[in-house]
Amino acid sequence: MVSSTTPIINQSSIGPLIMYPFQRKTDLPFEIQPDFTFLRQSIHARRANIVVNFQDLYGFMVQGNVDDVNVLNEVREKVREQGRVWWGMEANRGANWYLRTYASSGDLKSSLRFSVLVNGMTLKKLIRKGIPPSLRPKVWFSLSGAAKKKSTVPDSYYDDLTAAVSDKITPATKQIDHDLPRTFPGHPWLDTPEGHAAVRRVLVGYSFRDSDVGYCQGLNYVAAMLLLVMKTEEEAFWMLAVLLENVLVNDCYTDNLSGCHVEQRVFKDLLTKKCPRLSAHLETLGFDVSLVATEWFLCLFSKSLPSETTMRVWDVLFYEGAKVLFNVALAIFKMKEEELLMTLYVGDVIKIIQDTTHNIFDPDDLLTVALDTISFMTTNLSKQRKKQETVVMEELDQRLRRLNTRKLSVKS
Amino acid sequence: MRHFCFRIPTTTIHLLRLLADTKSLFQKPTDDLLDMATTGPSNLNAKLVLLGDMGAGKSSLVLRFVKGQFLEFQESTIGAAFFSQTLAVNDATVKFEIWDTAGQERYHSLAPMYYRGAAAAIIVYDITNMDSFTRAKKWVQELQKQGNPNMVTALAGNKADLEEKRNVTTEEARVYAEENSLFFMETSAKAATNVNDIFHEIAKRLPRGQQPTQNPSGMVLVDRPTQGPRASATCCS
Ligand SMILES: Nc1nc2c(ncn2[C@@H]2O[C@H](COP(=O)(O)OP(=O)(O)O)[C@@H](O)[C@H]2O)c(=O)[nH]1
Ligand SMILES: [Mg+2]
Repeated sequence: MVSSTTPIINQSSIGPLIMYPFQRKTDLPFEIQPDFTFLRQSIHARRANIVVNFQDLYGFMVQGNVDDVNVLNEVREKVREQGRVWWGMEANRGANWYLRTYASSGDLKSSLRFSVLVNGMTLKKLIRKGIPPSLRPKVWFSLSGAAKKKSTVPDSYYDDLTAAVSDKITPATKQIDHDLPRTFPGHPWLDTPEGHAAVRRVLVGYSFRDSDVGYCQGLNYVAAMLLLVMKTEEEAFWMLAVLLENVLVNDCYTDNLSGCHVEQRVFKDLLTKKCPRLSAHLETLGFDVSLVATEWFLCLFSKSLPSETTMRVWDVLFYEGAKVLFNVALAIFKMKEEELLMTLYVGDVIKIIQDTTHNIFDPDDLLTVALDTISFMTTNLSKQRKKQETVVMEELDQRLRRLNTRKLSVKS
Repeated sequence: MRHFCFRIPTTTIHLLRLLADTKSLFQKPTDDLLDMATTGPSNLNAKLVLLGDMGAGKSSLVLRFVKGQFLEFQESTIGAAFFSQTLAVNDATVKFEIWDTAGQERYHSLAPMYYRGAAAAIIVYDITNMDSFTRAKKWVQELQKQGNPNMVTALAGNKADLEEKRNVTTEEARVYAEENSLFFMETSAKAATNVNDIFHEIAKRLPRGQQPTQNPSGMVLVDRPTQGPRASATCCS
C-alpha cells in the first residue's frame, strides 16, 4: 500500500503504549495508555500528507495519514465517554445491572419486570454504542453465555484439558503450530513466545473439545483477538467455545465449511435485495461478493477492520447474534456503493473494498450504516439459512462426486 | 459525501473497458493501472489462481512477484488474497489479477470461486515435501475436470533453494508435467529463482484470441469526451 520510499515517522518516539506481561491463568494485564506525543511532530506531516505508523488501542501497528490518527484520538475520547456512561449506569442501577435483563419473568413482580425491559432496551442501545474496553471482558463473558457454559463443568476443566493434550500431536496441532508465527505477525504481544504459547493452548484445547472443528485456519485470528480482549486464556477459551457452539451458525469451520457457504449465499441474496443496482453491476463484472466476504465471515472481520472497529462489531455479535455480520458486510458495500458502481474491473472493486475496510478507524462510521441504515427481519434470516442449507449440501455433494468419479476413471 | 451517479449499463462495460485500455484517449479509473497498462492496443486482463498445499509457498511466490520481497512469516491466508501485477510481454501488456488461495484441506470447497473464469493457474508444491506433490496432482485433476479448458496451467516445484532436503526429484515432476501438458519450473521465492520467469511464461502462453488486436471501435472513441469512464459520472471523486 505504501511505497518503501515514503517517509515513516519513527515509532520509537511514541514510547511503549501497551505492555503485555504474560501470566497464564490470571490476568494478562496490558495497559492501554493512549499517548500521542508524537502527533506534535506530525504537523508538518499533514501538509506533506505523510504516512505514519501508529499503534492502535490493541497494540496493532497501523498505517494511515495524520487525519486517521486524529480520528483515532477522537475515538479514544468517545471510548472514555462511553466508559463514564457505563460506570454511571453501574452506580445508578447497581453492579452487574446488565445481567438482570435476562432474568426469567416468572419469578419477578411486574414492576421489576418493567425494569428488566428497560434494562434490556438501554443495554442494547449502550452496546451498540460500544462497550468500554475495560468492561469488555466482564460484559462479554456474562452476556454471551460463556460464563454459563463454563459453570456447567468443573472449575478445573480448562487446566485439565490443556494439561492432558499439551504433548499430543494431531493434524490439527500441526496446522496450529504452522500458523502461530503467522497470526498477526509483528504484534507486540501475540508475536512473542508467550503470545504464541497462549494462542496455541486455546486453539489446541479447543481442537480436542470439538474434533469436528479441530482447527480451521481463521480461528487463529479469532482466538488471538479474544485473548487480547479477555486477557485470560481460560476466558478466551470459553468465548471461543460459545462463539462456535452458540453464537455462529453451525458448521462454519467444520469439514467443508458448509455453514460458511450457507452464510455466503444468504449474504448474496441480501445484497441483491438491499443494493440491487450494485449487485447487478458486480455480477456483470464477474465479481462474486464471496471473494471478499468469505474472509470477513471466517475471521469475523478481524483481518480486515481496525481492531477497535472489529471489537465494536463483536460487542453487538455477542449480544445480538450472528445477524450483525450481515449488517456489517452489507454496510461496507453500501458505504461505497456509488464508487463501486463506477468500477470496470474486479481488481478495482477489491481495491476500493480493501481501502475502505482498512481505514474505518471510527467504528461509528460503520455501525451507523450497519445498524441504522440497514435493517432486515431476523426471522427471514433463519428461513433463508434453511433454504440455502439444502442448496449448499447438494452442491458440495455433487462436487465431491464429480471429483471422485474422476479419480476412479483415472485409476482404471 | 453523497454522489449522484448512475450504474454503468451492462452493455457499456465492455466498451468502457476497451476505452479505458486505450491510453491515448482515456484514463483508467485507478492510477496504478494508468502507468502499467499501456501503449499497444493489446492489453490483456488475466485472472490467475495459485493452488497447492498449505505451506508450499504460494503466498511467498506472489509476494516475490508483486513486491520483490520475501518474508519468513506472513499472515496466513484465509479464503484467498488478491493482488494485481502487470507484465509487459513482447508488444502487449498482461495485467494479472492474482488469487492466492488458502491451503488448508477444508478450504478446498471454496476453490471453485477462485478458479472459475481463470485464464491461468499455478499449482505449487514444495520440493522437500512429497505430500505436497501428491496434493498438487489432485489440483491438476480438479482443474482438468472443472476448470476452464483453455487455462494455462503451470506446475511450480518451490523451495528449490533447499536442495539438500529435496524429496521430489526434478525428473519425476517433469515427466508428470509433460504427461499432463503443464509447463513446469522449479522455483524459489526465497532466492528469487524463476519467479518472474514463471509468470512471464504464463503471460506469453495466454491465448490472445479473445482480445482484439486492433481497436474496432475507434470511431466511437473519438466521439466520446476525453476523460474516460469517469466522465459519465462527473460527480465522483
Ligand atoms: N526455503 C524456502 N522457504 C520458503 C520458500 N517459499 C516459501 N517458504 C517458506 O515456507 C513457508 C510457507 O510459505 P507460504 O508462502 O506462507 O506458503 P502458502 O501456505 O503456500 O502460502 C514460510 O515459512 C515461507 O517462508 C522458498 O522458496 N524457499
Ligand atoms: Mg498462503
